[in-house]
Amino acid sequence: MVAFIGKRLFQSLFVLFGLSLLIFFIARVMPGDPARAALGFLATEEQVERLREEMHLNDPFPVQYYYWLRDLMHGDLGRSSYTRRPVTMDLVQYIPATFELILFATLISAIIGQVTGVLAGYFRNSWFDGLSRLVSYLGIATPSFVVAIFLLFVFSQVLKLAPGVGRLPIMMTPPARVTGFMTVDSLLAGRPDIALTALKHMILPAISLAVIHIAQEGRITRTSIVENMQKDYITVHRVHGIRTSRLVFKYLLKPSIIPTVTVMGLDFAFLMSNAFLVEMVYMWPGFSRYAVTAMLNKDLNAIVAVVLVIGLTFAMVNLLVDIITMFLDPTIRLRTGGS
Amino acid sequence: MSEPLLDVVDLHVGFRIFEGYLSVLNGVQLSVGVGERVGLVGETGCGKTTTVKSILRVLPMPPAKVTDGQILYRGQDVLRMRRRRVQALRRHELSAIFQDPLQSLNPVFTIGTQLRDIVKDSAIGQGRRLPRRVIEARCIEALRETGMPDPERIMTNYPIQLSGGMRQRVCIAQALSTHAKLLLADEPTTNLDVTIQDQILRKLDELVDEHGSSVVMITHSMGVVRDLTQRANTMYAGSIVETGETKQLLEGPKHPYTQGLMASVPKLTGEGISEGIPGRIPNYLDPPPGCRFHPRCVHRMEACSAELPSLFEIGGGHRAACYLYGGEA
Repeated sequence: MVAFIGKRLFQSLFVLFGLSLLIFFIARVMPGDPARAALGFLATEEQVERLREEMHLNDPFPVQYYYWLRDLMHGDLGRSSYTRRPVTMDLVQYIPATFELILFATLISAIIGQVTGVLAGYFRNSWFDGLSRLVSYLGIATPSFVVAIFLLFVFSQVLKLAPGVGRLPIMMTPPARVTGFMTVDSLLAGRPDIALTALKHMILPAISLAVIHIAQEGRITRTSIVENMQKDYITVHRVHGIRTSRLVFKYLLKPSIIPTVTVMGLDFAFLMSNAFLVEMVYMWPGFSRYAVTAMLNKDLNAIVAVVLVIGLTFAMVNLLVDIITMFLDPTIRLRTGGS
Repeated sequence: MSEPLLDVVDLHVGFRIFEGYLSVLNGVQLSVGVGERVGLVGETGCGKTTTVKSILRVLPMPPAKVTDGQILYRGQDVLRMRRRRVQALRRHELSAIFQDPLQSLNPVFTIGTQLRDIVKDSAIGQGRRLPRRVIEARCIEALRETGMPDPERIMTNYPIQLSGGMRQRVCIAQALSTHAKLLLADEPTTNLDVTIQDQILRKLDELVDEHGSSVVMITHSMGVVRDLTQRANTMYAGSIVETGETKQLLEGPKHPYTQGLMASVPKLTGEGISEGIPGRIPNYLDPPPGCRFHPRCVHRMEACSAELPSLFEIGGGHRAACYLYGGEA
């Protein structure tokens, strides 16, 4: 078990190393001059040249890569030419906001997606199955920013059931920053009221992000429920009089959920970079928005950092998915020689 | 015959599929007395498993559909029972062992988890909540009864850690853990090694004796029928074609199909491989009219293709569905 995780971590390192090389070179071959972009068109040629020297831009690529990697190891990803701050500082500020949001979105999609998937599969071809199929296709087809705007308008503006944009109301003082997760920090500061408000602020953007994943994951679970329902062992469970709730949510769900878990992991990592439209709508000070801003401004150091973070997220989530799958499926666990 | 526990009366079951309607069970008659062991033989695809699944009400409907008939368990029709009542039957009265032990156990749960839930739900159905210790003891006892070595360890194993024979023992333990009154054993040893087959059947026989259960034993093997059953039934293409005491059936088969089946059993004396019965089981999409065996039968006459013969009495409870023994042939 531990050996397995160690091995997978080691493999992830290789993936990340490859990724860093790739990003570095892509960033370097992109047209345009980062030094000029950083200083603006009013700077003199000498000033630009000096910055170029400072950024090691005149050295050969391998040397540049060496400097870059060395700085990276020290947590120095350079300075963002757009925010004028160290990129690491930006990341520390923006990543937790997005992480908190997409964790919440993933939780929502996991619960709703699984429940609808299981019911649709168990009551195959019933009205519920038909309805969930229709809603799923709508959910898959509707872009998340449309859902975001719609929810914001209906629930916040018209019905006044949910708060508006941002992570907290402007009047409220955010708690001392520890984890960067607004809810967790509030609880740490002994302010459950702020935690609750922060949670309320997350509901609409999280649902907007979750809709498409609820739809997809629900469909996948439904398919595998339908498939597993035809397995002999389910007939055997029924023959032995196992009660229906146990049959469905234990004996049928566990083998059926394995393919969904993989997709859930990918969905989570995907949201890291693709939440920006929703973050825009809800004025969420998140990582996705930062990423897009960086790209639009050709903010080289920030872009590199963003891609690295996304790569790291994918690698970690995949590792996590492998571990969860191993717990769910004894065949994999026993084959890899764990206990 | 003793008082009937199970009485299947004129059961018709079909399946609606893309190509049309498969008329599989065509008037099955089957009766099992209290404490009686009944054999059911017939070639693959003749509807034995469909019959068992109908009795347990686990046929997927749709596509399956019961078009006619009754399944009386202690005089009550299983087909018309409320779901709750069927569930209660499955928990305390009926049990089954299926053909393929490799497919019969849930791969992602331990043997212990699966066995414990059966015992737990069975007790809950009787309005009792058993303490964990009692459940555990009962499960271990059930496994031990099947001759399983080290049942405590087996409880923590996953199905893939066990061999086919071990898994079938687990299935038997599951089936017997609730002390069912009627056990439906659907070719319990077909997928096992010959040496294991014998062990398993002997064990099953012993346990059924101890528990005093009735058994419907479905098999291809005449040897199994001879050793383990008191009465036997031959099934062909969705109906019972001959029924009687096992001895009568084995020593004096009357229906041409049973005769052919007996003749197909390889002889130890080595007289070469038998010819078997020419032809094959009919296509259920368009089965032959009348007696479904008539296209393959050497004795066929006009009446055979006109109407399905009922089971005609031959003597001493021995009956055959063939116009050679009655009807206006």
